[in-house]
Amino acid sequence: MNSCPDNKILEIEGLSKDYKGQPILENIHLELKEEEFVTLLGPSGCGKSTLFNLIAGLITPKTGTILLKGEDVTGQTGRVSYMHQKDLLLPWRDVIGNGAVPLEIRGHSKEDARREVADSLAVFGLDGHGHKYPSQLSGGMRQRVSLLRTTMFSKEIMLLDEPFGGLDAMTRFAMQQYLLKVLKEIRGSVIFITHDIEEAVFLSDRIYVMKGAPARIVDEVRVPLEKPRKPEILSLPEFHALREYILKQLEE
Amino acid sequence: MKKFQNIGDKWLLFVLIILWQGAVSLGWVAPYILPSPLAIVKELFASFQILLYHTAITFMEGMAGLMAATLIAFFTALAMDRYPGVKKALYPLLVISQTVPIIIIAPLIAMWFGFGIAPKIFVVILVCFFPITISLADGLSEVDSELIDLLRSMGATPFDIYTKIKLPYTLSNFFSGLKIAATYSIMGAVIGEWLGGKAGLGVYMLRARNSFALEKVFASILIIVLLSIGIFGLIKLGQKKAMPWAQLQEDEIK
Repeated sequence: MNSCPDNKILEIEGLSKDYKGQPILENIHLELKEEEFVTLLGPSGCGKSTLFNLIAGLITPKTGTILLKGEDVTGQTGRVSYMHQKDLLLPWRDVIGNGAVPLEIRGHSKEDARREVADSLAVFGLDGHGHKYPSQLSGGMRQRVSLLRTTMFSKEIMLLDEPFGGLDAMTRFAMQQYLLKVLKEIRGSVIFITHDIEEAVFLSDRIYVMKGAPARIVDEVRVPLEKPRKPEILSLPEFHALREYILKQLEE
Repeated sequence: MKKFQNIGDKWLLFVLIILWQGAVSLGWVAPYILPSPLAIVKELFASFQILLYHTAITFMEGMAGLMAATLIAFFTALAMDRYPGVKKALYPLLVISQTVPIIIIAPLIAMWFGFGIAPKIFVVILVCFFPITISLADGLSEVDSELIDLLRSMGATPFDIYTKIKLPYTLSNFFSGLKIAATYSIMGAVIGEWLGGKAGLGVYMLRARNSFALEKVFASILIIVLLSIGIFGLIKLGQKKAMPWAQLQEDEIK
């Protein structure tokens, strides 16, 4: 990708959070550059989702700041988009209607919002499915719609919280490749949560390894593999070396 | 095929009616104790005009009460969902309101509202309001909190949360409550008419009973049953129209 290396759009400095008197996140520093794919990798329940809730502004930190292009947005909602493992689609809205939700919240009229969503169906491989209801779609398709809705809110900073965790292995691999393709097209920047090392290495430009209680970032790993990522890289020695290295970091 | 199944589903009803007719025709039961189905239907046609007049009044009372109950239930449930304090204070009162035997306080209701149409509508509201309120309030509190958080993270206002998630989500609960309430509504109006009044199926039934015209009483009951089923069916139809997506899910299961 051709992004300028110093184009930081998100900076998190010294973030800590307690829950019921117990510290769960301690002194988190991280940054995200334009069009970058960054992963938070760590065991389940280590506080990664709490970190996302902090970035989304749903909860406020004990200490630390969240800077969006230099502006302090700590505790503010409506600045970044957020995608969950559950697709959280509205069963009473069709595909276009679901994608239109964030635009409607931002004040667009229903018709404008629907038109805008309809125009981007093709990018997400949802051409011809615009008028289907979620109950008529497969799990992978539903996550595509969920991703479409996420990008409709903001492509600038997208928080993806184990978005493929609920899918079977085959669908999951297809969705990973699909995600990279879509991101290249819409030039989005992503912070991704997973506990799957291979998924992290396959998708990311950089990986923050998190662990402990309270959770800290114990390492930052650059993934120097060539982009666009092809399935073949899964068998490269560099890929395996990175995986082994991260596994050790987590086990230590 | 479907029609055949429908008849198949209702075989028990047909058997019971035939047994009933047989029991009266064969003289096992005296007609002044239990009139036969045929006699009831005959009566229905014979006094069609007068029955229609009373039915119209009862129907009007029932629908006015049902609509008023729906409105009150809607705003009560919204207030209960928005302010937990209101819910805590109101929920037990709502339950208590349903344990008061209406027949016993009926003379009081007549004293408060007179013998016009108001006490009838009041009784209908009293019986219909509870199932709608409870189903709405429960539905509103069941909405996935992650879904609410997702919309909040997009900067949604409380108004957005209600119009885009909570109210559509509650639609199926609302219809469940409304269906129960609708079957009570005609009954409620009839009970209201027993309190005293000049017209309506309840008044007509009382008069018929007092002159031992049992087939007239049963003809009224038949109308009440048919009317209630009709209203129930209409609401079911409305639900299908209002919730096309739910229909899809059902089709998929088949």
